[in-house]
This record gives sequence, C-alpha cells and structure tokens, in this order.
Amino acid sequence: MTLVGLSVKNIRRNRLRAVLTVLGVAIALLAFVFIRTTLDAWSTGAEHAAQDRLGTMHKVSFTMDLPRTYFEELDGTRGTVPGVKAATYQNWFGGKHPVREQEFFATIAVHSDTFFDVYSDMAVPPDQLAAWKEDRQGAIVGEALAKQFGWSVGDDVTLLGTIYPGDWKFTIRGIYSATRRAVDRTQFVFHWTYLNESIKDTMPEQTERVGWISTVIEPGARGADVAQAIDAKFEEHDVQTRTMSERALSMEFMGSFGAILTALDVVSGVILVIMMLILGNTIAMSVRERTNEHGVLLALGFRPKHIALFVMGEGLAIGLLGGLAGLCLSYPFINGMGRWIEDNMGAWFPYFQIPIDVAITALLLAMLLAGLAAVIPAYRASRLDVIDALRRIG
Amino acid sequence: MIPIRYNLRNLAVRRATTLATALGVGLVVFVLAAALMLTEGLRRTLSRSGQPDNAVVMRKGSDNELSSSIANTQVGQIASAPGVKKDADGRPLAVGDVVAVIFADLANGKGKSNIVIRGVTPEGIAFRPEVKVVEGTLPRPGTEEVMVGRKIARRFEGLDLGGELELRKNRSAKVVGVFEAGGSSYESEVWGDLDYVAGAFGREGMVSMVRVRLESPALFDGFAAAVEQDKRLGFDAMPELEFYEKASEQTAVFITAMGVIIAVFFSIGAMIGAMITMYGAVANRRSEIGVLRALGFSRTTILVSFLFESVLLSLLGGLLGIAAASTLGMVKFSMMNFQTFSEIVFAFEPTSEILISALVFGGVMGVIGGFLPAIRAARTAPIEAMRG
Amino acid sequence: MSAEATKADDGHTKPRADKPTIIRCQDLGRTFWRGKERLDVLEELDLEIPEGSFEALMGPSGSGKTTLLNIIAGLDRPTRGRIEVAGKSLGDLSEAALAKWRSQTIGFVFQHFNLIPVLTAVENVELPLLLTKVPASERKKRAQTALRVVGLEDRMDHRPQQLSGGQEQRVGIARAIVHDPKIIVADEPTGELDRQSADDVLTLLERLNREFDKTILMVTHDPAAAERASVLRKLDKGRLS
Repeated sequence: MTLVGLSVKNIRRNRLRAVLTVLGVAIALLAFVFIRTTLDAWSTGAEHAAQDRLGTMHKVSFTMDLPRTYFEELDGTRGTVPGVKAATYQNWFGGKHPVREQEFFATIAVHSDTFFDVYSDMAVPPDQLAAWKEDRQGAIVGEALAKQFGWSVGDDVTLLGTIYPGDWKFTIRGIYSATRRAVDRTQFVFHWTYLNESIKDTMPEQTERVGWISTVIEPGARGADVAQAIDAKFEEHDVQTRTMSERALSMEFMGSFGAILTALDVVSGVILVIMMLILGNTIAMSVRERTNEHGVLLALGFRPKHIALFVMGEGLAIGLLGGLAGLCLSYPFINGMGRWIEDNMGAWFPYFQIPIDVAITALLLAMLLAGLAAVIPAYRASRLDVIDALRRIG
Repeated sequence: MIPIRYNLRNLAVRRATTLATALGVGLVVFVLAAALMLTEGLRRTLSRSGQPDNAVVMRKGSDNELSSSIANTQVGQIASAPGVKKDADGRPLAVGDVVAVIFADLANGKGKSNIVIRGVTPEGIAFRPEVKVVEGTLPRPGTEEVMVGRKIARRFEGLDLGGELELRKNRSAKVVGVFEAGGSSYESEVWGDLDYVAGAFGREGMVSMVRVRLESPALFDGFAAAVEQDKRLGFDAMPELEFYEKASEQTAVFITAMGVIIAVFFSIGAMIGAMITMYGAVANRRSEIGVLRALGFSRTTILVSFLFESVLLSLLGGLLGIAAASTLGMVKFSMMNFQTFSEIVFAFEPTSEILISALVFGGVMGVIGGFLPAIRAARTAPIEAMRG
Repeated sequence: MSAEATKADDGHTKPRADKPTIIRCQDLGRTFWRGKERLDVLEELDLEIPEGSFEALMGPSGSGKTTLLNIIAGLDRPTRGRIEVAGKSLGDLSEAALAKWRSQTIGFVFQHFNLIPVLTAVENVELPLLLTKVPASERKKRAQTALRVVGLEDRMDHRPQQLSGGQEQRVGIARAIVHDPKIIVADEPTGELDRQSADDVLTLLERLNREFDKTILMVTHDPAAAERASVLRKLDKGRLS
C-alpha cells in the first residue's frame, strides 16, 4: 500500500455514491463529447475544404449567375490568368426527390468534360465515368445519397425541379466516393448541357449561364493571389466576380451559424459546470463523513498536506474513472450515431466521428475539473483541528 | 404528514450540498428553456411576417421566395381570383415583390454574410401596414434608394443611414431609411424600389411571389382552387401563415431537437447529482428517520417526505434556471435561415408556457432523482433510532 | 537529564522509581473559550511519569483527562506551563515538527478503534509507516509482525467490518506499536468492549509494557481496567489528586 493507494481506496467507501458519481461524470462527458464532435463536424467542412480550389461567382449574390464565356477565359489551357491549372463550371439545379421532398441534397448541373478533373476528390470508377459522359441524361450520385434513396447504377430516377420547373428524368450512371473528409457524399451531379438544352424554349434568358466556376490552381501558386487576379480580370466586365478558395467559402458559410456555434460552445461549458457540481458535491460529502478518520490520520502524524492530497487524489481518481467511463460510452454511441448522420445528413455533416483530440481533452477535463472540484473540500479537510475531529465520533 | 418545515430546514442545514445540486438542476432547466425560447423567437419572428387573411402564390415546386418566379403579366390573373379584397379605389390588394440575396460585409469585419434584398412597389409597402420608417425616409419610387430593417442596420457594413450598398458597378444603392415591421423577419431585410432591384438582379418583368389579401381567411380554399386551376400556369397557393410556418420549420426543428437532446443528456447528469445528494441526506438522517418511524410515521409518509424534499431541491434549482433564462430576452440571436440561406435576426422569447414547462421539467427531475433514495428512507427500520 | 545518563541507568532489574522520567509536566494549564465563557480545563498541573510505567488516569467526565492525554501526545498545546516528553520540550516544536515527533514517539489507541474501513487489518497497521522512509516490503513485514504480537496473524486481510470489536481494538493496538514508539496513549481503550475482550486488550497492554518496555498512559472510566495499571492517578476539576 502506498499513499496514493490509500487515497484511491477511499472511493470504495461508499460504492453506490462512487458508482453514481462516475456515471454522472460519464454522462456529462458523453454530452460534452457529443457537442464538441458536432462543433468539430461543422468545422470539418472548412478545415478539410480544398485550399487549392477556387470558386468564382457573381460579385453581388450567390443567386445570380455568370455568362458561360467566363469559363473559357479561366480554363487552364485556353485562359489567360496565370496560376490557373484547370477550370470547370456548374449550376445549382435545386432538384428534389418527388416523394421525399423534405430530404435535402445538392443537385448540380456540371460541365461533364472537366468536372471530375477539377473535383478529383470525388472518385468515380473509370467505366462508370465513361458511361456517364456518353449519356446526356446520366447522373452520378454520392455513395451516401445512393444508400439514402436505395439507388444503384442503371436506375431511372425523376427529380422535381424547383428553380427549373418540371419533372426531370435521369439515369444513374455512376456512384462517387469521397477521398477527402469535407466532401459531401450526398450530391447529385448531371450534365449541364442537358439542363441548358432543356430550357431553351421555356427559359431562354437562363441559357448559357453558369452558377459558378471552379478552378484548380497550379502547385506553388497562392490561392489569394490567383483569386485576386481572376476578379481583376472581370472587373471591367458588366458582371463582376467574387473569387475565394473553398476553404474561405466554407469558413464564411460557417460564420452564418456563428451564433449557434457560440451557443453550443457555451452549452458545452455548462455541462462541465454541472459535472463539477456533481463531483464537488460528492467529494465534499465524503470528506464531511470522514472528519473523524482524518483526525485519526492527523493524530498518527500525517500532515494537513497529506489529508489534502488524499482528498485531491480521491477526486482525481473519480474524475479519471468517470472520464474513462464517459469515453467508453461516447465511442459506440456517438460514432454509431455519427455513421447514421453521415449517411442521412451528409450535406451538413460529411464527417461525424469523435476527433481524437476531443476525446483526450474530455478525459483531461474530467480529471482537471475533478481536481478543481476537490480543491475546496481538500482545503477544508486540511484545516481540520485534530482534537475537534477526534471528538466527532462517527 | 411530516411538516414541510422539516424538509426546508434540512435543505438549509446542508447549504453547500443543496446549492450545488440545485445549481446543477438549474443549469439544465436554463439550457432547456433557452432552446425552447430560441425556437419560439424564431417561430414568432417569421410568423409575425404573416397575416391570417393573406395568401401567397408561388410557382409550383418552389418552397421559398428565392426560387419562385412569376411573370408580371400573370399577377393580374392572380389578383382577379375570387376572394381577393379590394381597396377603397376598387383595386385588388395583390402585390408582388422581387426577392434576391446579396453578400454584405459584416460590420465586425468577420467576412461576409447573406442578406435578403426585396424590391417593392409603394402598394407593396402599403400592403404591410406594420412597416414603419423609424429613421430617415421611405425610398422614393424609381430611384436607387433603399431602406434597411432595424435588426440588421449597423450589423453590416454600409447598412446605416447614409450608407451605400454596391448592387451594380458604379451604381450603388443609397440607404435613406431604417424601418421596423412589428418584429417580423422583414426587419432582417433591405427594401428598395421594385424595378431597381429587378433590374439589378436581371429579373425584369418578374416577381418572386404574389401576396394577396382575402376578404376573409375562410375564402382561401376558393381562392386557391381558382389560382391552381390552370395547370399550365403552375401556381401554388398557401395561406401566408402556413408559408412562414413552413419557412421556420427546418430551423425550428433543428434548434428544438438540438436543445432537447442536450437537455435530456444534461438532465440525466443532474438527476444523478440529485440522487447522490438525497442518498447522502438519507444516510445522514438514518437514526432520525428511525425515530420518526418509531414515533409511528408510516413508510409512505417518509417516502413522500423525502420525495418532496428532492422536488423542493430541484424546484429551487428550476427557479434559478428560469430566472437566468428570463434575462436572455435581451439577447439577440442571428442565424442562417435555411430557406433563403440568408441571415435572420431574432430574440429569445420567454413565454410563460416555456418557463413553466421548464420548471416542471426540473420538478420531474427531482421526482426521478429522489425516488430511489426516498425508497431507501422508507425502508429504514424503527430500530435504527437506537443506533449511534 | 542527558541521553548518556539514561543509558547508563537503564536496566530492567532496577525499581521503577529509579527510572528516568519520560513525561514531565510543570505548572500545566489549558484554557478553552466557549464564546466569552472561560473554561479552565487543566490548572497548575505537575506530573512526572517514569519510563516504562503503565499508568491509568481516572476521573469524572469533564475532569480534563482527555485534554491532558492530548497534550502529552502532542495533539494539543497547553495554554500555560511546560511539557517535556521523551526528551523534547513540546512547546518549542513547530506544527510540522510536532507531527513528525508524534509519528515517531507516540502510539495511539482509541476508544472507537478508528480503523479505516476500506483498508484491511494489515493495511491499517501499515498506515503509520507510510510516513517513514521504510521500503514497502519492509513495511508490510513489520505490519505483519505487529499483528502477530497482538495475536491476529490469521486476520491480516480482513476488513474492520469482518472483525469483532475486540479484534478491531487489537488491530488498533498493532497500529499503535508498528513504528516502535516509546509511549502508547490509550483513551478509553476498553470503553466499547465486552468484559472478555476488554480483559484481552488489557492483558495485551500489560505485555507491551513488560516485554517491550513501552510507557503506557491510559485514560479510563473502568475501575477494572485501572486496576491493571501499575500506577493510578485521579484527576478532578483539572487537578491531580
């Protein structure tokens, strides 16, 4: 037996209370890890978003489009902007599943020759890609979306147009997977030419327009410089542009949720306070019940610092146990739920798993808070008067 | 019945423990109330924009003002549908706005965010009597003047009296007024002249959505049938309240779900806290309970008394929680509206229903957390009175 | 009295009176304040106890016997007067030094045993050694030896709840001797025990006194227990009679 051992053994004194406290800490920690994982999943989009891919859109509004001719001016082989390697363009289509209208996913009409070169992080098997390029009404969907609606290659699907009214018929020609965490695996990608030709009669003013142009920059080129060069190029045109890297765009998008993120941040702090209250209460109660015993230890020659250390050690041990139990709860629970979220809410959370640093932080916080919660009881225990303590016979 | 005084004094004696436990419960109640208040704030902000006797018409398939578009020439057809109210001059009360979204620089320098810009006619402004200019003047029709909603004024760069907004190169819109609109979502928008906004966004000859005032809400079905009858036009009619209800649905569900999940997690933690405290109370008062039993108090009485003490404890926390939550009424919350991808500013809305249900939630936590300890107390044998 | 002199005079055959004094109180006073009310628990108390003596301290409740015991054991400090135990003037020691001195010089036996419930018998006995630099294996060996002395070699790994009152008190005594203190102070060691267990405990104390030459100071209410001591002192209203 050692001094540390002695302090840890005290946890066994009131098993029910120890179990409840560990459980309380574990559940608080589960909630904490859940919130932090959610926050992390939000920012994953931004952190893992490509820095070498730029998006060029209308300067005034994302709802406005650009003339398709802008693409030619940016294309790596024909264009004149230094630093641009390749370019592609796309339109937001705004399609919906005809029955399950509430389930959001991105539908985009893309320039099929270049799209998957620029979006090299969306991997399509070569034979499927070739088949898709051959079929004007073909579509390539994300693996998560295919799973969500039970689609497989060869299926005919109909989408409801919101921006471009009507029923739109497609055939699934390929399924892409993601090679980067930030990639949304619920997108629906089809030929821009199909869209453009279909609306020639009904919406002639909408033809030959593209929503935004994506460019990949040459290795070594600075994204910000290239973006500036692109915007400068169109400065004197009728329609000016706004170009930024995907990462900057994601950050800006996240900024719109700033208040929610702040609120979640605050709430994750609140759970830590609750955890500390539970811990502090338990430790204070067990110290109070043990006043007499501490008196005995003092009589035997133990110093107040020993008593304080015992209390701290007990607190830390409970914190550690609770932390470990919390992680044991968190992993199956949150990662299991995360898989479901990735499959069903992939547009918002392409990646939803506990980041290792969150797990480590949680464990350390559990111990730190337990230590903090033990400070006052430890201090009070160390101020104990031997005679007084011995007189209080249990 | 054991007097309440007994419980109150016991709680007072164990001040620190009582306070720690109550605070835990209080924080849970606070989080729950805050989430509900936020949802309520969002719901009200959007529903304030709707009127019970108004109906909206948009293009079939679209579910928000951004994706809908209706040709100007078709507005007359909608206005002539049965049930539409007429003004003093006999003109039908039907207005169409052009709605677009623009990037605007946040005033705090943290990048850009989307805001809704709405092109309106003078009739369009008159159609919404709740709209009042609080600073400056109304933008003059046919000019490049705009006014900004009270909630976003000064949140964004240039969105202030005298400020400028570049919608087109070398043709900036001038901010001439700040308006309020009864706390509705209009207060998070920029309003300008219909033709100017339509021109700036290449939407000439179109409006996004048409709003009509009906003679009475009961006439909606007839109106809708008439408007939707012509399948070629592809119109969809909806009561305005329902439109806004739907608009807030996704975000509201998101916040409520998040809030409830978090509150449930948290409450388990706090209930365990209450349980620990009550077990402690029972253990400390073992001989005391023995005496009560020896004096003839029944097990049920003891059970009720301890359960009651636990409920008192959590209600105390609940009161702290809703007191703290009530102060959130001052806090403004800005969030992306999933419908338009643009910012909407709203406030925490403390209603008595929310506060009461959060408090009840706290009380229930006390019942659940105190139940097992109360059973242990009730099982105490009278003989315990004789032991140290 | 110098250490050399003590050594020179040492010897079991000599009569008790010739033994060097191990506890010396001079003009000892202890005053407690309960609010504004003054309570003189000990007054002008002089006491000399020779090394190797087994003394019982009796007196009615409130006579100050526990206070005197606490002062001698270095748990409490007198308000007035001098106290010298085992060659140290306790008044000159700091709190830390006093605690260290206590852990080396005094063995405590309590009325309520005061064993740590989560520790086994051998762990309880080992407790005072945790304060020393004795290595872990040696600590355990000494704790086992102490338990053997009190006759509990077959109860080493039992927890206090698994022991009878008499056994618990014997563990308490083992704890009091494990670090080989010069003095054992016992506050009502038989107060919680039945006659038979009390007899066993007293016999054990006698043995420690005789075979191991421990000075024992015991506060008791029990005349039968007091009889077993070699010297009986009576305390009344803070004064020795």
